[in-house]
Amino acid sequence: MALILLLLLPLLAGLLCLATRSRQSWERLNLIAFALLVPLALKVAADVLKGGTVSALGGFLRADALSALVIGLTVFVAMVCAIYAVGYFRADARAGTITDAQLRRYYVLTPLFVALMLLVPLADNLGVMWVATEGTTLASVLLVTFYNQRTSFEAGWKYIIIGSIGISLALFGTVFTYYSAVSVLGADTHQGMNWSALIGIAEKFDQKAMRLAFILVLLGYGTKAGLAPMHTWKPDAYSEAPVPTAALLGAGFINCAIYSIARFNVLAVKCLGDEFPGKLLAVFGIASILVAAPFIVAQRNFRRILAYSSIDHAGIMVAALGFGGKLGALGVTLHMLFHAVTKPLMFFCAGNVQQHFATPYFWKVRGAMGSLPWTSGLFLMATLAITGTPPFSIFQSEFTTLSAALAADRGWWALLFMVGVVTIFAGFLVHIVKLTLGAPRHDAPERGAECPWKLGAMTLVAAVVVALGFWLPGPLYQLVQQTARIIEGMP
Amino acid sequence: MDASTSPQFSSQLIALMAALMLLVQLLMVVQRMLLTSIRLFAIQSVFLAGIAGVIAFVHNAGHVYVIAALTILGKVLLLPRLLNRLVRRIRITQEIEPLLNAPTSMLFCGGLTLLGYIVARPFTSLERLGNNTLAVAMTLVLTGFFLMFNRRKAITQVLALLTVENGVMLAAVALTTYGMPLVVELGIFFDVMVAVMILGILVYRIRETFASMDTSKLSQLKG
Repeated sequence: MALILLLLLPLLAGLLCLATRSRQSWERLNLIAFALLVPLALKVAADVLKGGTVSALGGFLRADALSALVIGLTVFVAMVCAIYAVGYFRADARAGTITDAQLRRYYVLTPLFVALMLLVPLADNLGVMWVATEGTTLASVLLVTFYNQRTSFEAGWKYIIIGSIGISLALFGTVFTYYSAVSVLGADTHQGMNWSALIGIAEKFDQKAMRLAFILVLLGYGTKAGLAPMHTWKPDAYSEAPVPTAALLGAGFINCAIYSIARFNVLAVKCLGDEFPGKLLAVFGIASILVAAPFIVAQRNFRRILAYSSIDHAGIMVAALGFGGKLGALGVTLHMLFHAVTKPLMFFCAGNVQQHFATPYFWKVRGAMGSLPWTSGLFLMATLAITGTPPFSIFQSEFTTLSAALAADRGWWALLFMVGVVTIFAGFLVHIVKLTLGAPRHDAPERGAECPWKLGAMTLVAAVVVALGFWLPGPLYQLVQQTARIIEGMP
Repeated sequence: MDASTSPQFSSQLIALMAALMLLVQLLMVVQRMLLTSIRLFAIQSVFLAGIAGVIAFVHNAGHVYVIAALTILGKVLLLPRLLNRLVRRIRITQEIEPLLNAPTSMLFCGGLTLLGYIVARPFTSLERLGNNTLAVAMTLVLTGFFLMFNRRKAITQVLALLTVENGVMLAAVALTTYGMPLVVELGIFFDVMVAVMILGILVYRIRETFASMDTSKLSQLKG
């Protein structure tokens, strides 16, 4: 029941927003809907911890620990984005940059986007998982083009075209996986696309087909995750979309893409052993980190730098998945968790700075500490957290990934990983320190009252980030462990 | 069983229709009139529906008939109508100079066809009906991607994506006798419909904002 409600509630909220006219009702509907999702997600996690899996609709919807974790993270990101969005769009409305019609589009499409994002980890059928992923692309395109500028349409067009190319490849890969399964299942093909059924027979799959299927799936869902070289849509989409949408994409949807890759990886490893999939994943992962690094160092736009950070973190997660073993599985799980919690703070701070200074360029913003003390402080903290500085949590997951590489005897990969991560750390720090500290420019705007909605969202996320650096609650750690076991392929 | 229902005959019929799909694809690669390209896509989809229909008939599989019907409804009737309306609204009827000219494109697509056949060879022995369907499917995907990069008009890129999707659907129908579960087919159907609608909206907006459908003009965002 909880599973069905998880999908129905946001859908209902979106439909109701379509029917109402006042901005207040839209804000309230979104906030209430996402607030109600929180206890539902917690219930699903609790049930999974007790009983292993939860199903609904005759097995159509199925949640195991991996699903429960992704659902929890999606709900968290959606909730904080909804709180932040209230303040963000009110500021935009005050500045006269948006109309009510545009705002309604945001409040109708966002819950739909979230509902589809929740369907991805809940669908047992790999084909339905594909449909949901394509659905999220379609729901978010008109959110990316929100501001209706030339650059918005350019970003939206690249997003949907590159996304659609990728998703067709993913469909091709899904078809090949189905084909591998059908040749084993014979006549009874009803279960042929259900992951829970495939996991039992994966060893018997046709190896040639599975190899091709995995390549296609990695290219396809990797495009959605933003791995290099299929990442070119990310900087445009993340910088042109409104900040809450960008945060949902960069901290929420990215988990769904990694989730899909992980599901196929389990099947591929059972069929092909971990040599082939592992190498492929590690190549794409490390390549993404190394491609992101120079773009971060030489970046001039603090909205685009977040996209490259997202490419980097997708690379870290995929590399961890590729290194494999106990540590690899733990690394990708921890990284999904810590990244989803830390990234929104970066987006929110950047959004605040952009709205206050009316520019996304680094060279136009200096010494923001003077006019936006809270935001600047949190921005500095978030930068340290996202680049993996101890004691923040991402340090732990990156360290686990590094250990996984060494445990798998991939010394050179580990070295490249370190080089990439350290370069990104340095690049980020230099940029954000210049942005927050240092002497303000002569044409800097006055200190403004920092909006309570936006600050509230940011403080909430910051509190979670700090807390997770020192303490992982018992049940959460159990969930992480169970998830890691699923990713590793243990029953 | 009389001759018209023997697996030999239906196999040949499917192989013929798959080859025709490939032919239509190659025609699209060199076609410059947008309205004709849309018509070619509709014809290609008719052949796809035909293949699904024959498979449904031979294997007596009810829900593959549904797939054939959906293909006709969506890709032969609805989508071409939508795209035609879009082309008329934005009043651009002809493609501009492609990256590679027609003869070179043809040559390149010939190479891609060969590549498609080579990649599909390890799997052809296990095919149920038709002996070239997987090869054609791969070629459709490869040439579809080529079409996307060779042309610059936004509508042609949408059509190219749709032919890639045709290729994937052909692969699904060729590799698995009963196609994919109906719920997945329905989902894909709706996704494709909505995708084209959204792409249509974007094309219209791009035309309005940029006064052109030339996607090479969408290059302001860099770095």
